[in-house]
Amino acid sequence: MVNPENLNAALLDAHDRAEGGRLAELYHKAASISEQVGKMDQACFYLTHAYVFALQEGLAMSADLHARLKALGREE
Amino acid sequence: MGFVQPVDLERVMRPVHQAQGLANEFYVDPNLFEQEKSAVFFRNWTAIGFCKDVPEPGDAMPADLLGQPLLVVHGRDGIVRVFQNTCRHRGMILMEKKGRLRGAIRCPYHSWCYDHDGALKTTPHVGGPGKNIHEDIDRSTLGLFPIRCHVWRDILFVNLSGDAPEFDDYAADLKARWAEFDQPLHPGGDESAFRLELDTNWKLAVENYCESYHLPWVHPGLNSYSRLEDHYNIEQPGHFSGQGTRVYRPMINEGGAPFADFEGLGDKWQAGAEYVALYPNVLLGVHRDHAFAIILQPVTHEKTIEHVQLYYATGDTAVADRSDLRAANAELWKTVFAEDIFVVEGMQRGRHGAKFDGGRFSPIMDSATHLFHHWVASQFAASLQDKEPV
Repeated sequence: MVNPENLNAALLDAHDRAEGGRLAELYHKAASISEQVGKMDQACFYLTHAYVFALQEGLAMSADLHARLKALGREE
Repeated sequence: MGFVQPVDLERVMRPVHQAQGLANEFYVDPNLFEQEKSAVFFRNWTAIGFCKDVPEPGDAMPADLLGQPLLVVHGRDGIVRVFQNTCRHRGMILMEKKGRLRGAIRCPYHSWCYDHDGALKTTPHVGGPGKNIHEDIDRSTLGLFPIRCHVWRDILFVNLSGDAPEFDDYAADLKARWAEFDQPLHPGGDESAFRLELDTNWKLAVENYCESYHLPWVHPGLNSYSRLEDHYNIEQPGHFSGQGTRVYRPMINEGGAPFADFEGLGDKWQAGAEYVALYPNVLLGVHRDHAFAIILQPVTHEKTIEHVQLYYATGDTAVADRSDLRAANAELWKTVFAEDIFVVEGMQRGRHGAKFDGGRFSPIMDSATHLFHHWVASQFAASLQDKEPV
């Protein structure tokens, strides 16, 4: 289980360094944590951020993230 | 003055032996410069940069055309496109610096993302947190604004108004004239690109470039072998003008080795070279062994940047042992272009003289310059009358 405080610090660090790939990974983790505790709106918020940074970085994971968001009615 | 009047244009558009040059206001009046943006630059094919600066898919760079923010993108599909550098959401500038796109173009404000073809890919949180869709946000209508563009001889041209003739028609006569040079151009290295910042109106740089009249006075070094009588005028009304020489001599290094020639050139080009202004803002030169392009960037009515790029017939690997020659060639042209600075800046200062009436042309030596004046006047006339140039 990821410690939310550590995750938050890691996200801030990745934002500071403008590390898009790491941001996609970390937001994806944040989404998983929220989903595990049933907070779907929050999970979709994080999934969205993961998707945006995955798009920016041209990462293959963007296709999965898009599919997930679309299945949840959050993307077209 | 404010706005140009038809009478100011009529005297410019007379035959060269009767014509007056463009009046002072075309050079010193900021209001007329504003009018010139739409009358001359936006409605024609205007150069904004070199494609060699975005060589790989994913390369992108912002560009500015008279205050219009543009974004050049070399797409994943290999196509170079130009967009307005403005997000469709809140009008934020999308890219501030040249760089390599790894994936989508992400607006730094609210992260709306665009594909390399300008399509809007996602609109994060547009329907509320974590909801990236909304029934009133139709992404298919919200792609980046495309700017009509065309690449020729590595030069990226744009037509902001969107209604100029096709570029291939616009430049057809020059393309035909230089058909033999329609072959790959290889930019030299860092030494082959430089810029000159001039305190002058952009038109004076064109005018000086068009004619050989000044060569013996301003470029005595060139004139030692390339005399005035060895030159001829090049005139294509409505499109381009310039001058040519019949006595071009290729450069060689200390070992006597020249650059490689462009392939298959006819006899004309063995000792011939031509220098042409493609209106409005591109100055071109072709020789058997190298070529160059100068893009004039009008910054204000009294400031212009010349972006100079030299090209060769063979790429870096093939000319690796010619780097010294390329450096010498770049230095030669830098010297020649620098020799012109005092005249283009001096003419600018001279046009603050209220009694100057646009000047009289030599009917023989200034006909290429007059053609440019005629073209500029035609653009203003067409703009005033909202019809095709006369």
